[in-house]
Amino acid sequence: MTQRTNVVLLAALITATAGAQDVNVYGTTMAQMWKQDVPGFDKTSYAPATQFLGIDATKLGTEALSLHLFGWGRVDLGEATSMGKKSDGNLTYGYLQYRFAEANAEIKAGRFAINQGAGMEQVDGISARTDLKHGFVVSFFAGKPVIYKSQDPADQRNYEFQHDVIFGGRVGWRLSRMGEVGVSYLQDGSTAAKDLPIASIVDYSRRQVGADIHFVPIAAIDFTGRTIWDVAHHAEPLSGTAPSRIAEHDYTMLVKIAPLFSMTGDFTERNFQAYYAGTNMPSLFRPDERGKHRGYGGKILLGSAASLLVTADFRSTNRDSFGEANRFGGDVRWTGMDSKLQAGFGAHRVTTQNVLKVDRQVPSYSLSHREIRAWVMYETGRYSASLDGIHQSFDDQHNPNLNGKKAQSELVASLGARLTPSVKVSGDLTYGDNPFFKKDVRALLRAEYRFSLARKGGK
Amino acid sequence: MNRRIALLSFAITLGLGVLTACGMVSTEKSFAAVHPQELGAGRPSCSVCHEDELKGSGKTYAAFNHSSTFVKDHKVQAGQDANVCATCHSQSFCADCHAGKTVMKPSTKLGGRPDRATPHPGNYLTMHRIEGKIDPSSCFKCHGRANNDKCTSCHR
Repeated sequence: MTQRTNVVLLAALITATAGAQDVNVYGTTMAQMWKQDVPGFDKTSYAPATQFLGIDATKLGTEALSLHLFGWGRVDLGEATSMGKKSDGNLTYGYLQYRFAEANAEIKAGRFAINQGAGMEQVDGISARTDLKHGFVVSFFAGKPVIYKSQDPADQRNYEFQHDVIFGGRVGWRLSRMGEVGVSYLQDGSTAAKDLPIASIVDYSRRQVGADIHFVPIAAIDFTGRTIWDVAHHAEPLSGTAPSRIAEHDYTMLVKIAPLFSMTGDFTERNFQAYYAGTNMPSLFRPDERGKHRGYGGKILLGSAASLLVTADFRSTNRDSFGEANRFGGDVRWTGMDSKLQAGFGAHRVTTQNVLKVDRQVPSYSLSHREIRAWVMYETGRYSASLDGIHQSFDDQHNPNLNGKKAQSELVASLGARLTPSVKVSGDLTYGDNPFFKKDVRALLRAEYRFSLARKGGK
Repeated sequence: MNRRIALLSFAITLGLGVLTACGMVSTEKSFAAVHPQELGAGRPSCSVCHEDELKGSGKTYAAFNHSSTFVKDHKVQAGQDANVCATCHSQSFCADCHAGKTVMKPSTKLGGRPDRATPHPGNYLTMHRIEGKIDPSSCFKCHGRANNDKCTSCHR
């Protein structure tokens, strides 16, 4: 979609709010400031001003029709904060929604996020869903994928050429007090890389089939997960066996042993070639990487999120080409004083002694580290305050990414006041000590507001 | 002539398909558009007030309790029951972390809300060089096809 079409569409959508019975306008204005002093570079000052703005207009002529808009814009008052650009912005979503009184049926048209089994996408198009009789659910979407301009011109041309269309759908089946299973299909682009004007080894298109499950046979068991298959055509490998076409297995099981005692276990496997299909950053997520990542873990949870919750967790991961890493530790989360005061503390250890080789270009170094995080937040109707600190210490300071540092820390202090029921102002001050900067101090001022323009009359 | 017959056949099949589908649509009432009561601070447990099944979803309300497991991993629930989420959350709440293009990391945007468990607290520039090597597929979920403007300044 061209810039001009976007502007006309956005103007038309905003104009449509004039007919709404209820209009909610909400936004956050942020002013940030920091100075950067990196050894070997000039000192630079940054002062970006960012505006987030959302509009929800309901009852547009009928109870069922509504409009939803959300986006942001940024202007740099100091040095440019992103590569060569002193301003930027994005319409995150902007769509009309018609919501039926029965069958959870709805139709959306415009720019929206879609999450239907295989893939979570931003789409300029149309989507619809409805419940059917006997527990069936169907949904579909079609349109043009939202294009991101993050590549060099030649790759960007190929990426945009291949991203001509996106569509997909899901069929699910629900059984009372048992849960739901579903199968989904997603196709992103109609032209394969081999059909480009100049054939490319990087394929930005993608075809995936997904299966998802949420199984709750009894109140004590909650099992969720999904598997996604890459079903696009790929050339046979010149040597060896073809890698797995299973992009992802991702399953989690929660068992509630007692009201205040539960356990979870999870399993993940991702085969990189299938999982990275359709990436727009093939230099990092290499579609020719044959390996896989496999992880499993568990948690023991004691207590309740409403008062005191103690969690112990463990996770072991293995990446074929690099080796094994284990993460274990615990968290405590406390809520008190009628939920006005919340606090949390966590400590974790990551061991990577079995890592084979972390970088082909440099001698091996350890990625093992420790992490401690503590935070406290107090919020009354009028005032709010929080402190959030994190500290990481590293086993191997020969890691070239640490610039000789053994540890890094960051502390964020925030104070806020609600000036009126609709307006809140707050400020954050961040102090950091890390391998990148001599000194890292940042300030942020934030104004949040929410206005409701509900009209009298109507229905 | 053949093309006209093919188009006519397609139109009749589509029309019959739509009519059949309409007959199959559930007659159950849709979920509430908005939760009737404002919820307090902290993570809600739906089952505190609702013991039974969320009619039409196939699941009990307890399946939507915001446990720490749910907060960390809710993709299946969001995919199957987005209209249940929408009862309390506007889409901008999801966009705090899941937007296709963002201007700042969620932990900066929500600097005064450490309770939100946003990703990448602290100086993540250092940590991504460690966690990205251990499991690059965990980066891919958010940065593999979108939201990677900043990544490309180094990863070209």
